[in-house]
Amino acid sequence: MKNCKIVVIDDSMFSVAMLSEMLTNQGFEVLGSANNLEEALEAVRTLKPDLVTMDMTMPGADGLEVTKAIHIMDPNVKVVVVSSMMDDEIVKKAKKVNVSGYVQKPVDAEELALIINRVMADEELFKELEEIYYTVVKETLTDTFNKFFKAVPTFGDENNSNNEQVSHGISVVMGITGKYVGRIIFDTSNETVTNIAVKLLGREPKNTQEMINILAEIANIAAGNTCSMLNRKDKLLGLRVAPPTIVHGESLIISKSDLDTITSSKATTAFGDLYVNVGFKRGEGEWTTSI
Amino acid sequence: MDDKYIKPFVDSVLTVLPQLGITDIQLGRIYERGRNLETPGIIVILGLIGDIRGNVIYGITEECASGIASVMLMGMEIPSFDEMAQSAISELTNMLTANASTEFAGVGVNIDISTPTLMTGKFSATASSEKVVTIEMIVNGQTFEINLAIDKIC
Repeated sequence: MKNCKIVVIDDSMFSVAMLSEMLTNQGFEVLGSANNLEEALEAVRTLKPDLVTMDMTMPGADGLEVTKAIHIMDPNVKVVVVSSMMDDEIVKKAKKVNVSGYVQKPVDAEELALIINRVMADEELFKELEEIYYTVVKETLTDTFNKFFKAVPTFGDENNSNNEQVSHGISVVMGITGKYVGRIIFDTSNETVTNIAVKLLGREPKNTQEMINILAEIANIAAGNTCSMLNRKDKLLGLRVAPPTIVHGESLIISKSDLDTITSSKATTAFGDLYVNVGFKRGEGEWTTSI
Repeated sequence: MDDKYIKPFVDSVLTVLPQLGITDIQLGRIYERGRNLETPGIIVILGLIGDIRGNVIYGITEECASGIASVMLMGMEIPSFDEMAQSAISELTNMLTANASTEFAGVGVNIDISTPTLMTGKFSATASSEKVVTIEMIVNGQTFEINLAIDKIC
């Protein structure tokens, strides 16, 4: 794991000194400290820490307000609250403002180090997934098409927008679970599925069910292989794919999703276009406390 | 299907909706049907993986969903089933399924759930399993369907 750079935010000089010493002894790099909102923003802007420890009660803005302000400036900075106050209500509020972990004072050095390491490991793993998942999806879809049809698709530009999409007629939806949750959607037209079916069966499909079965099977293989390959790259991911549900009809809109990363593109195949949309969400696993 | 797979979903609706401020809830019919579902306007699909492998497919009319979303959004008027209302209903299905999975864990059935995918329009859904168990809940006088498509009990 890379060296974690930390800024300590606390209005008590004693706490700043103690936490800085503790964190340095645990192998972290303490870049500096701040004791109010203005100093915290200045420190994040100039020192660019990976993580800040945050006191809850400070004069002026409290820890939650400072967290919000920091995330407006840089949403990637992780916040671990270190506070003597800790009850259900305040923990709930902290989660709402995207605090990553919560440690109660008096602080146990090893416990604080463990929580910071977990938060940073989660972040690195999610970043790793973000960097590779769509390449892997394209590789496995290419491989699946190559094995079935001896012809490979070409992919258009990747799009990361999370807008609602109008289906081209038939969609296969598969949920994903594991370290991070998500879903994969293959969307195409009835004509494309008919062309695929003709190639595989050597005749026109008898009915919609037959078309659905063929598309579901191809999507299931591509999605299953994608998760297996991602798991091989990092076994901590532990991704698994749910069975496919197929939706089809005259008007079908796939709504915007609550996902933290989403990528889609158009695969041009010998049978027509296939749209592949994949997304993941950071899980509850990222939340770490000493409770 | 064994009752033990149905009860957590019924209990989940009876627990979660009152917490959100919806109290007019009754249990309707529970029946088995084939894999093809005509959607009532809105469906939300969540994958189930673990000791059970399958999907839960919530089927809701726009009127029912808008009514629930309005209560979830502190009485906000929902003139159309817009992005905000869609997000509220996605979150509701997430809560319902997570709550059911907690009850499952209590009886030794461990299930992980995927993120929800919400779809609207005029369309059909084909479940992955041959048979689907439909649990009808009547919420504010409107049908709220929970369709359980279980492929495999591991």
